[in-house]
Amino acid sequence: MRIIHFLVICALVISAAYVYRIKMDSTVRTERVLRLRADIREERNKIAALRAEWAKLSSPARLQGLVERHTQLRPVDANQFDALKNLPARPPSFIKPNDPDPIGAMIDVVSPDEATGSIPAPASASSTPAATEGVQ
Amino acid sequence: MSDSASATPAEPFRQRLIRKLLYGNVDRAAKARARVGLAMLAFTAVFAIIALRLVMYGVMGDTHGRRGGAQDAVATARPDILDRNGEILATDVKAPSLYAEPRKLIDKDEAIELLTATLPDLDPGEVRDRLSSRKGFVWLKRELTPKQQHDVFKLGLPGVGFLRENKRVYPTGRDVSHLIGLVNIDNQGIAGMEKWLDGNGLADLHRAGFATDRQQEPIELAVDLRVEHALRDELMKAKEKFRAKAASGIVSNVRTGEIVAMVSLPDFDPNNPKEANDPDRINRLTTGVYEMGSTFKAFTLAMALDSGKTTLNSMWDTRTPLQYGRFRIHDDHPLGRAINTKEVFTYSSNIGAARIALSQGIEAHKAFLAKMGQLTRLRTELPESASPILPRHWGELNTVTIAFGHGIAVAPLQAVMGIDALVNGGYLIPPTFLKRTEADAMKLAKRVIKPETSDKMRFLMRLNAEVGTARKADVAGYYIGGKTGTAEKVINGRYAKKKVLNAFTAIMPADNPQYQLLVMLDEPQALPETHGFITSGWNAVPTGGKVIARIAPLLGIKPRFDLPPSDRLILATSRENR
Repeated sequence: MRIIHFLVICALVISAAYVYRIKMDSTVRTERVLRLRADIREERNKIAALRAEWAKLSSPARLQGLVERHTQLRPVDANQFDALKNLPARPPSFIKPNDPDPIGAMIDVVSPDEATGSIPAPASASSTPAATEGVQ
Repeated sequence: MSDSASATPAEPFRQRLIRKLLYGNVDRAAKARARVGLAMLAFTAVFAIIALRLVMYGVMGDTHGRRGGAQDAVATARPDILDRNGEILATDVKAPSLYAEPRKLIDKDEAIELLTATLPDLDPGEVRDRLSSRKGFVWLKRELTPKQQHDVFKLGLPGVGFLRENKRVYPTGRDVSHLIGLVNIDNQGIAGMEKWLDGNGLADLHRAGFATDRQQEPIELAVDLRVEHALRDELMKAKEKFRAKAASGIVSNVRTGEIVAMVSLPDFDPNNPKEANDPDRINRLTTGVYEMGSTFKAFTLAMALDSGKTTLNSMWDTRTPLQYGRFRIHDDHPLGRAINTKEVFTYSSNIGAARIALSQGIEAHKAFLAKMGQLTRLRTELPESASPILPRHWGELNTVTIAFGHGIAVAPLQAVMGIDALVNGGYLIPPTFLKRTEADAMKLAKRVIKPETSDKMRFLMRLNAEVGTARKADVAGYYIGGKTGTAEKVINGRYAKKKVLNAFTAIMPADNPQYQLLVMLDEPQALPETHGFITSGWNAVPTGGKVIARIAPLLGIKPRFDLPPSDRLILATSRENR
């Protein structure tokens, strides 16, 4: 009888210790989960703030202002669209393997102020300071 | 207790004596059993109460523990609102707000002095009132900047702290103002789609305290931000150029009823709620009702063509003004001859339209407009709406004037819905500000006119852009069709000749319409370049043309050149198919 009592008490102590350990462990883990959740929320808030800022910076109203002030770009005209099937077939290449790249050479020659596209730049839009003011 | 070994007979005499003196002559075993029974009863009662209470919680829910007042405002978060391409129109960011706990303040005067010095826009009197109150918690200033927060933090005042609140921001500002509406300082929607959001369950979420995180599904609207901006930009320019009181425009998808863009100038910045209360800044497209003028002739002609009694070549007598009681109906450009139905549309003949409507009869006219949804209040997701203004007794004179768009005032959005039905094959689709597929739209659609009539309306609209009043909007490549409207405004009960409301309705492309554009200018002024005219063809139509040139590429309409004229492309193919 006494031995049984002793064994039961031992089992009780051991199980109490074990339960305590599990409890402690779960508390630590819960705290970690909470901390991680807080971090995630913080990150989400930062992402939201950055997305809002990006939306503001890329809003059409702002972009239009910048484009009108700093570039010579204009809205697309219907004449500037064409279908892919209207493209002529690719001409055979006449460049020998060791020749310099002819298109690369062309890009080096073109000045950045030159207007591109199918519509020529307006007469006033040459790169003189007076003309730049006129664009603004 | 001393009764562990009490029941044994080997109890010493003296002990028994003491026991008898203390407890009297009782059977101790029976007593012990009674005690155990009592204890069991007590525990059973306790556990029964606990169980019962648990069941009550489960069934009825917890009535306590809800957060109210100031903290509720802290908790509110709203879902993001996106345009159809996923661009952000409205989102939440966290902003710190300053609060105080007056009971914890040590030196009130010092606190007031320091706070008003750091935040100059705080009113010292108000701060004093708030800090002297007996409340446990008072707001001092909402939505601080990070720098202000830092400065106040450095003051080191006890009893003053920060709470981070969700602040609604609209990165695109004025572009989407009327559409999206705005929220108040507690993040509750008070107008536009924001209010619709609250009405659709978000407010309940808030009350239950669930809407605290940004884990909510974003709302996708039908609006295209780029189109919206282009429309607004062109309307701004037109409003300035023609010195108009107001300008507004709608782009709608004729097949789904989606509103792709909606602008009503003057508008407001949703980030600055003070502006929105100005009565001049109402949404004219849904809250205002207007006599749409000649735009309504489209309905008159559609009714006549759909009845089968009239063809495109029926002749109408417009030689003399139409005399009706004390009213005389004139034409702006009298032709002095009989004209056919096509010419009634392209010359925008009031007399012709009136005669067409009379030939159908009053009841048929009324029934047709009711079928097109022009006589009842149109409700959309937007909380703002208005009832059309109808004549009290609909007589012949009313039919005569309504035939060319006077004597009935409808919300422009309503007219857009009707015109959509005229050109999309005859389906009336309720407009929506949310994304909708064509299949979903067809489920809601109601057939109102025959497909052949719809083809004829497309033809008439296109013809009007080729030879009629809408020539100035014919942007090369997009095969536009359109109808103009110039309505004289009623000032003191009379039609004022110099104050007009101009409208221009365009469909693109006319042979198979995808989008409809409505442009309205309120009281545009005559300019030298319009040769003193204030009719729609000189201001609303060119504005519409500019808008189309800008938005057609954004809407993905392929430019096509060298298309045959309308009678061959639209009418001929229509006959072939049937």
